[in-house]
Amino acid sequence: MKHAMKHAILGAALLAAYVGVPLLFGGTPYVMGLIVAALTIAGVALAWALLGNLGGMVSFGHAAFFGVGSYTSAVLSMKLGVPVFAALLLGGLGAAVASVAMLPALRLRGPYFALAILAYAHIFQILATEMTPITGGAGGLLSIPRFPTLFGLEFGGKTGGYVIILTIILLSAFAYDAVRRSAWGLALKAMHDTEIATRVIGVPSTHLKAAMLALSAFITGVVGAFNAHFISFLEPDYAFSSTWTVLPIAAAIFGGYRTVWGPVVGALVIYLLDQLVFKPILPHGHQMVLGVLLCAMILLSPGGLLPVLLRRRRSEGGRHAHA
Amino acid sequence: MTRTLAKLAATVATAALMVALGGPAAQAKDFLLGSELPLTGNLARVGQGMHEGIAVAIDMANKAQAGKHSFKVSTIDDETSPAKAVAAVEKLIGDGVVALTGGYGSNIIGPASEAAQKAGVVYITSGGVTPDLTGRGYKTFFRINNTDGYALAMIGLLQDMAAKKVSVVYLNKEATSNLAKQVKDALGAKGVTVTMHEFDGATSDFKPLINKVKLQDRPDVVAMVGYENDYVGILRAAKVLKPDVKAMVGVWSLATSQMAKEFPDLMENVHGTSMLPYPVEFTQPEALEFAATYKKLFNKEPDYLGQFGYVQTRLLIDAILRADAAGTLAGGGLPDELRKTDAQTLIGRVTFDAKGDNPNFTHRMGQHQGGKVVLVWPKEFANGAMRFPATPW
Amino acid sequence: MIELTLQALFSGLLAGGYYATVAVGLALVFGAMRVINLAHGELVLLAAYIAYAAESRYGINPVMAIPIALVVVASASAIVYALLSRIEHDREINSLILTFGIGIIMTNGILTIWAADIHSTTNPWFQDSLVIADTLFAMNAEVAFFIGGLALMAGVYWWLNHSWQGRAVRALTSNRNAAMLMGVNPRQTEILSFMIAALLATFAGVAIYTGKTVFPSLGHVLTVKAFIITVLAGMGSIHGVLIGAIMIGVIESLTVTYLSASLQELAGMLLFLVVLFVSPSGLFGGRRALAR
Repeated sequence: MKHAMKHAILGAALLAAYVGVPLLFGGTPYVMGLIVAALTIAGVALAWALLGNLGGMVSFGHAAFFGVGSYTSAVLSMKLGVPVFAALLLGGLGAAVASVAMLPALRLRGPYFALAILAYAHIFQILATEMTPITGGAGGLLSIPRFPTLFGLEFGGKTGGYVIILTIILLSAFAYDAVRRSAWGLALKAMHDTEIATRVIGVPSTHLKAAMLALSAFITGVVGAFNAHFISFLEPDYAFSSTWTVLPIAAAIFGGYRTVWGPVVGALVIYLLDQLVFKPILPHGHQMVLGVLLCAMILLSPGGLLPVLLRRRRSEGGRHAHA
Repeated sequence: MTRTLAKLAATVATAALMVALGGPAAQAKDFLLGSELPLTGNLARVGQGMHEGIAVAIDMANKAQAGKHSFKVSTIDDETSPAKAVAAVEKLIGDGVVALTGGYGSNIIGPASEAAQKAGVVYITSGGVTPDLTGRGYKTFFRINNTDGYALAMIGLLQDMAAKKVSVVYLNKEATSNLAKQVKDALGAKGVTVTMHEFDGATSDFKPLINKVKLQDRPDVVAMVGYENDYVGILRAAKVLKPDVKAMVGVWSLATSQMAKEFPDLMENVHGTSMLPYPVEFTQPEALEFAATYKKLFNKEPDYLGQFGYVQTRLLIDAILRADAAGTLAGGGLPDELRKTDAQTLIGRVTFDAKGDNPNFTHRMGQHQGGKVVLVWPKEFANGAMRFPATPW
Repeated sequence: MIELTLQALFSGLLAGGYYATVAVGLALVFGAMRVINLAHGELVLLAAYIAYAAESRYGINPVMAIPIALVVVASASAIVYALLSRIEHDREINSLILTFGIGIIMTNGILTIWAADIHSTTNPWFQDSLVIADTLFAMNAEVAFFIGGLALMAGVYWWLNHSWQGRAVRALTSNRNAAMLMGVNPRQTEILSFMIAALLATFAGVAIYTGKTVFPSLGHVLTVKAFIITVLAGMGSIHGVLIGAIMIGVIESLTVTYLSASLQELAGMLLFLVVLFVSPSGLFGGRRALAR
């Protein structure tokens, strides 16, 4: 009964996302573009929260993975003619490989780890600027190939881009959820509680952490690669911009980073509220409103937005609620 | 604000429809222009400068067309972000703007003008100088300035100075490194010894760099390619270290009234690109009116950003009026009409080639002299003698 | 070559002193409260803009503007503290978002009030050159604020080690619960550390206004730099901040001299990573946090 209902809700949500949104906004490229941009933030936010919840690591440098993913994919498709969808996945792979360079950082804790990743992001950005023959240097890459038309579906446009990023996020969220429920997830949770305990029961905590870092990097890299082909342009300052770190963190915490969907909800709410509601009212001061909103959220509901919404639904729905 | 604009857009659209359906052609019309600019973020300063120029152009057009047509501009801040610039362009086009004027930073103009090209709407700018932008060959993309014009002015001045050794100190961003390399190639081909020094945007202490220039390069001239805070940093370091050079030469954002006011001691005898002297000595009626309107709207002297923003918007408005008179505006005739432009403007003659670039663009060089900016190159525009050799120390 | 190297070391030393004055306040607040104040750079910037307003409007010398700026920055800090102290759960992570939000509000507030133009002092004394032994060059402002900054940091160091209040801050840093059991009033001590951080931020802000240029988006850059140095030092270590900051300053200026100015950030970051990999809690982190 519970499961049937859950599936029905899921089905309805998927239908609304894949069919409803394009039908509703497909005609206004402006709104569609904003939704895609919000989902791009959402993808990074999801990957960031995954690393925090499963790996117990707070990162201040997800822009590193975003940038590496976008450059890998863009360069592969432009210089080697790799098909765009394949390059997208290779972009994720590139970011995961980059995370291998960060393995020494795994033994760092808390802010030490967070800032070490930030340092990597800076270093990658400078490398991208200096490796001119491959990356185009500070000038960046213009006219990166867009997504092709496949099976009669035009993926190069706004709606096509929306379908791609939506799919990336759904698959990532399902992967996240699956890991969380798996034996790995249990081990990771145990590791969270006490690292020594896991060592005693024989779980190699560093391997698990490395795996979570690679998974988070992969997702972020794919999202970065998507953005490169969607915007069709890259330069080091943009690809490794701290925006790709800071906004997703804000979105994840705003939405509720302990949950799988909180970061996605947070990104959509923050970005769309800012751009669609605050900006038209206050063309110059809207970012201040965003700042106030973030502060208010932390002070009034530190667990984030999604838990609040769920709690309300739960109290309304009474026994239908599920954990 | 937006709602009124949306209403206005609807009115414009209705008006256009009425015209298309055979209404009288010589009706008074409201034209809505769109402007996408960085008003916040890293490029806020330059974006606001261009924004002022656009406002002046609109104000002057409304005065000139009073009783006939009226112009309005709807501006959206792109927050120095490519994605938001694209969104802004799409929103403006959705609101029914006739054309777009604005844009700063080649990396932001690239995607933004692509969105305009897709919708077949004209995008005119003075904020992106890289060859890549016009290299795309878009029918709807126009710009009034380019790297070549800046490089030619800098190279011309350095040759007039008969510099044998030049140290180029440049920021590792796109526009700045392109320009620096162009200067290096041109001077190198003429037998000048050029040493290149790249720096990062985070550099705030230039003493180690200038010390290298002073002790190792020993150049005749230091050529600086960066932005305001870079120039201030470089000049301060040079003023402290006092390298034995004959001149300090920069490009954009340097020979400006604002720099003269904010950093009087630092700027003395420094060269930079400048279209007009400061205080502005206007002789043409258009330029006089421009300066007066600027003063009226913003209570300050116009700067180069304002001049460029004004010229690009003025040319656009002229083309819109011509296309409207010819009845081709509604049918997408604006790009062709704009391509017919051949005008003498505040920044010199402007025409557009097939790719939308202005092949006539050459900048002029000004020198800070006692709180003023005196034009010193080329000779035909000079309004004073160049002080040479001369440095701020 | 020797001349180049000497000047590079000297420039790096001065730059390090400037980085340290920006970072010490951040380190102090982190030590006392376990809170990373992501609005710290904006507080520094606010002080710089107050000095600008005082000079451009009333012709007040930037040094004389320090008390005025201090009042404003201390009030802003008090507001930040009041908001922070309302966080009950997950203070380390929630405070990040709160202070990040405050940073956004401040950056945009500064942009709205003072526009995006760059500013710096118009008083020529600060930029006049000071030459030592014909080989070392600096601006008056750099040397003056370097010495002033050192004195201020020495004062804070002495206060932490010798006054009861200062020891309370250190006690909170090393073991919060034990300190509270020993009768340390955490609120009072936290407020105090916030106010001292405000003083350091004010000083740093005026130093930047006189020796460098200020513009609205600078705050974020300052926060990141301060944060990196705080972590490099070992969270909470004051003299570590000074040493770490000078290390970063020197490696940057040596990179400019021997390689390229475009690689200086790279060198600083690599140094940071190498230190962390060798000593995972920073130069002076771990148990020996905060002074000593």
